[in-house]
Amino acid sequence: MFERFTDEAKQAVVSAQQQARDLRADRIEPVHLLLALAAVPGPGREAIEAAGLDHHRLRTAAERSGTALDADALAALGIDLDQVRAATEATFGPGALDGGAAPRGHLRFTAGSKKALELSLRLAMRRPGRRVIDSGCLLHGVLSLADPVVVRVLHQLDGDPDVLRARIEPDVA
Amino acid sequence: MATPTHDVTAAAAADDPAVGLRAVRALRELAERLEVLQVASARRRGWSWQQIADALGVTRQAAHKKHAHGRKDD
Repeated sequence: MFERFTDEAKQAVVSAQQQARDLRADRIEPVHLLLALAAVPGPGREAIEAAGLDHHRLRTAAERSGTALDADALAALGIDLDQVRAATEATFGPGALDGGAAPRGHLRFTAGSKKALELSLRLAMRRPGRRVIDSGCLLHGVLSLADPVVVRVLHQLDGDPDVLRARIEPDVA
Repeated sequence: MATPTHDVTAAAAADDPAVGLRAVRALRELAERLEVLQVASARRRGWSWQQIADALGVTRQAAHKKHAHGRKDD
């Protein structure tokens, strides 16, 4: 399906792999696609930035609550992840708590990420004229999923997935 | 956003499955990572797989299968 992707959309898909790796995920989740779209120049990034968001802020929010080791969820249970991390690092060395899950090799897309790619393809096919998938379509696909992690990360930054999606709607729908 | 102190029971016994399941997943992930660190530490100190299994409340086979992979001391 990637033959219909624009160069920057392809770059975003490649970057998603790196975003996942940087967050020590073992799969490419929709939130990693979102981070990639914020990093790679193109219509997707323009929409994200027009909404007052950027890669750095999204990445910080994803680190906080978009990974399996979910600091906010643990905080709600009365567990201070920063304290646990400091204690384990004091005993077992730097990165001890985060080193165990270091991903290796080629990361695969989760079912949610595949679905996002499908949705963006479907959207591009509906578009009159050139049937190519640009990073705006990709962003639209990611936001259409209502993936809980993506929604959480956006909410944390006072962003609304539907508002952001509507922002790119006129271009792609 | 997190509310560290007053929402402890709210998260643990949340009525909303999304909140409750997220809390369970976070706990499981933390427990898994601590287990990896502690089992490795116990092995370095010469604990047997049986001792580690007893401490974790699992069978020796389960502890060995989960943690022994790729370790040259096994």
